[in-house]
Amino acid sequence: MAIEMKVPAVGESITEVTVATWNKKEGDHVKLDEVLCELESDKATFELPAEAEGVLHIVAKEGDVLPIGAIICTIEAGGATASVKVADAAPAAAVAAPVAAPAPAPAPVAAPAAGPTSVLEVKVPAVGESITEVTVSVWNKKTGDSVSLDEVLCELESDKATFELPAESAGVLEIVAESGTVVPIGGILARITVGGSVAAAAPAPAAAPSAPAAPASTGDATYAAGHPSPAAAKILDEKGISAASVAGSGVGGRITKEDAVSAVKPASAPAPAASAPVAAASSERTRREKMSSLRKTVARRLVAVKNETAMLTTFNEVDMKPVMDLRGKYKDKFKEKHGVGLGFMSFFTKAVCVALKEYPSVNAKIDGDEIVFHDYCDISIAVSAPKGLVVPVIRSAENLSLAGIESEVVRLAGKARENKLSLEEMSGGTFTITNGGVFGSMLSTPIINAPQVAILGMHNIVERPVVVDGQIVIRPIMYLALSYDHRIIDGRESVSFLVRLKQLLEDPARLLLDI
Amino acid sequence: MDRPLGAYSLSIAYMQDFDVVVIGSGPGGYVSAIRSAQLGFKVAIVEKYAVMGGTCLNVGCIPSKALLDSSEHYYNAVHSFEEHGIDIAKPKVNMGQMIKRKAGVVSNLNAGISYLMKKNKITTFHGLGSFDSAKTVKVTKEDGSSEVISAKNIIIATGSKPTILPFIPVDKERIITSTEALKMKEVPKHLIVIGAGVIGAELGSVYARLGSKVSFIEFADSMIPTMDKTMGKELQKSIAKMGADFYLSHKVTSAAVKGKEVTVKAQDSAGKEVEIKGDYCLVCIGRRPYTDGLNLAAAGLTADERGRVAVDEHTLQTSVPGIYAIGDVVRGAMLAHKAEEEGTFVAEVIAGQKPHINYNLIPGVVYTWPEVASVGKTEQELKAAGIAYKEGSFPFKALGRAIASGDVDGVCKVLADATTDEILGVHIIGARAADMIAEAVVAMEYRASAEDVARMSHAHPTYTEAMKEACLAATAKRSIHS
Repeated sequence: MAIEMKVPAVGESITEVTVATWNKKEGDHVKLDEVLCELESDKATFELPAEAEGVLHIVAKEGDVLPIGAIICTIEAGGATASVKVADAAPAAAVAAPVAAPAPAPAPVAAPAAGPTSVLEVKVPAVGESITEVTVSVWNKKTGDSVSLDEVLCELESDKATFELPAESAGVLEIVAESGTVVPIGGILARITVGGSVAAAAPAPAAAPSAPAAPASTGDATYAAGHPSPAAAKILDEKGISAASVAGSGVGGRITKEDAVSAVKPASAPAPAASAPVAAASSERTRREKMSSLRKTVARRLVAVKNETAMLTTFNEVDMKPVMDLRGKYKDKFKEKHGVGLGFMSFFTKAVCVALKEYPSVNAKIDGDEIVFHDYCDISIAVSAPKGLVVPVIRSAENLSLAGIESEVVRLAGKARENKLSLEEMSGGTFTITNGGVFGSMLSTPIINAPQVAILGMHNIVERPVVVDGQIVIRPIMYLALSYDHRIIDGRESVSFLVRLKQLLEDPARLLLDI
Repeated sequence: MDRPLGAYSLSIAYMQDFDVVVIGSGPGGYVSAIRSAQLGFKVAIVEKYAVMGGTCLNVGCIPSKALLDSSEHYYNAVHSFEEHGIDIAKPKVNMGQMIKRKAGVVSNLNAGISYLMKKNKITTFHGLGSFDSAKTVKVTKEDGSSEVISAKNIIIATGSKPTILPFIPVDKERIITSTEALKMKEVPKHLIVIGAGVIGAELGSVYARLGSKVSFIEFADSMIPTMDKTMGKELQKSIAKMGADFYLSHKVTSAAVKGKEVTVKAQDSAGKEVEIKGDYCLVCIGRRPYTDGLNLAAAGLTADERGRVAVDEHTLQTSVPGIYAIGDVVRGAMLAHKAEEEGTFVAEVIAGQKPHINYNLIPGVVYTWPEVASVGKTEQELKAAGIAYKEGSFPFKALGRAIASGDVDGVCKVLADATTDEILGVHIIGARAADMIAEAVVAMEYRASAEDVARMSHAHPTYTEAMKEACLAATAKRSIHS
């Protein structure tokens, strides 16, 4: 018997993964818990261990994007022959034709009436512990449509994420909860009539018993489904969206103006030709590569933050001489004692924690109509990893010593570089520090790491002439930037926060004395 | 050495430059100009005549409707008042006043369009517009002076003129076109109408009501032959009540004027000749696209064999980029409201939008009394296309509102798909049909079924109940009141 290996649920907001690399080949004998492949989500990379011992049959190729629950591969336990597995893996059509006809005839159409029917209820799956209900956003299928196993039926929306619901079985769909309906976890979304006659299940009132030989029941749900109103047609054309890809919410599935206004161009299917980054035509001076799912998520979130927050940036400058002097004096002893170098990061993190305590709105987030204040400082550190920007979190940084912070930074940065960060290590930060200075940035306006409301931008340290006590002197200066969400942080807090940071860093003894 | 920059600027300074120049101020042209202005373009409109509005306003829809209503009032005064319990002295037609009133209606609307041009900051040029190049238009004024204006986009909206048969000597006195029929000095004793299409039917019925004996000569076998056959049949019945004669399937062979008498000869389908004598002959055999004097060649354009300017189906752009054409001068029905849609369409295309026109759902209207209006497919078209359909009709004589008014001539006919019940065509003859057809257009734009309309509440008592009843009939032969 073959075991189907499916994409595990890896996190509540993750709806799909990309198969990064296969460690095993088709037909390989694999052992229990042996790593079969590496999967990549927009947040992290993880390994898929074998759930059984046996012969591996790969279903999803490297680069395939799979929804949660989709089949990645099968493992044939007990070493049966290949022919049996092929039959197992065959598409669901076989289910509908239990008649033992060996020929691959179009059985489900030819002999529909004979098959036994059963009705499967499609329910809202448990998608996360804090989610109690979901909204049906779009049905990809209509009542009366034939659906195949794992075909995406609809899109569900929770307050946290959107996810797709694949069919648990092949059959004929009957929608119970229309688009826009709010359904509790476990509530019935639809019914799938498995096996049996297509015509019998279709809602057409007429001609059911007479001749199921008639063509498929696709059109007779309503002939006007997908017909755009005059205004909708114009809007869709201007957006370059085909009416066929829009689900009409009007009577009988008609596409209303509102449907057209809110229609979004579906992500274009991956290029049919080889998606390898080999340039299509060598004469062309451009090169196309598919965006990784991490890149796509980063892109989507950054734009969302820009659109959804009232973000602006305030600046200040810090004379780094006191911190540099302190570091110069103690860095060897520090390394000796703690086994980790004394960098600037620990000073900044520590100073940020002190300032956050004094200006709690900078350490907050918005949840609906409420502001959530955090009585702890989980500081996200932006790290440039090989696959893009990641933000691991230093937990309760306010309770850590400088050495504790430094060793956490080293640990997390190391994991980031090896793409080994877990989802857990990247979620739940309350404030972010990003250091563009390591690349030589003088000044920047970082984008908030939502749902956080503020981010500190560090920059390079440059010797500049400054005036101290009426004298022009040369000092190592770093510009600081604080981007913040003006919806809940006012100028007084944001500017004071940055001034407080400056104060703490220019006189690090204050950190010790808590003044 | 380069020419000094000043040389260029100087020559340009004399030429006014526009984003959009519209040639012709009919319903297509002026709507196009307004929509262009709304979209932020700098717009000019060029009109040959002293007044704006084109054929529709000056010698078409509007004046004919003014006379239709005047003649209808007269007809009612003569024939219906007594029955309604109104006793008056025998009314007389005052043709001079009737024409004067019509002129007032027209000049009222002329002023309206001029106001709209000003309001939308559209520059108006009065003079004959002709192409100077693909990007410039020469406006030749009545005094012979001319001016050249340049435009990024040019919209040809020059409309149409009545077609004249070569063997019929139109003298505009006794043998006339629709233009002269709108400013008659007397009521003809016997008006011979060549062509019983929309215009012939409308103007013929005006004079029939004013007391003229009217004889229609039509090459096809029915009145308004392009419309659903039921409409032509019903209209003929209605007009025949006023004493009109019909020579259907007759081919006119000659027409001659002798003093105050016009003699028209025609042959029936068997070749038998008839001779009809009257005091006026109205020639209404159709209209031709009008591009005379437009100098299409200068823009690199030519008219096709029927005089039309060829345009791209999706953009209404001609073969020369930046030049568009709309209305009667391009393919499709010669209807003011079709031209208006195209006027809006082109302005939006120029602005980079993607508007739509559903040509199948442009209603056709005949302003006779009773009026005729239709949209979608005729029964004949559905048969020819092999589409299985259901038909539902409702007669006005069973309609409370129609009985109360005494306008009982007419029928509403709905054609729906035999399987889906989708409405495919609606054909109405009867009082207010032209207004009623809008409901059918809305329903069909949304692809409503006959039952959808049948289940919508229609106010009582109204003429539109005929639509509901006909839809009930089309749904399952279940109209309530017949």
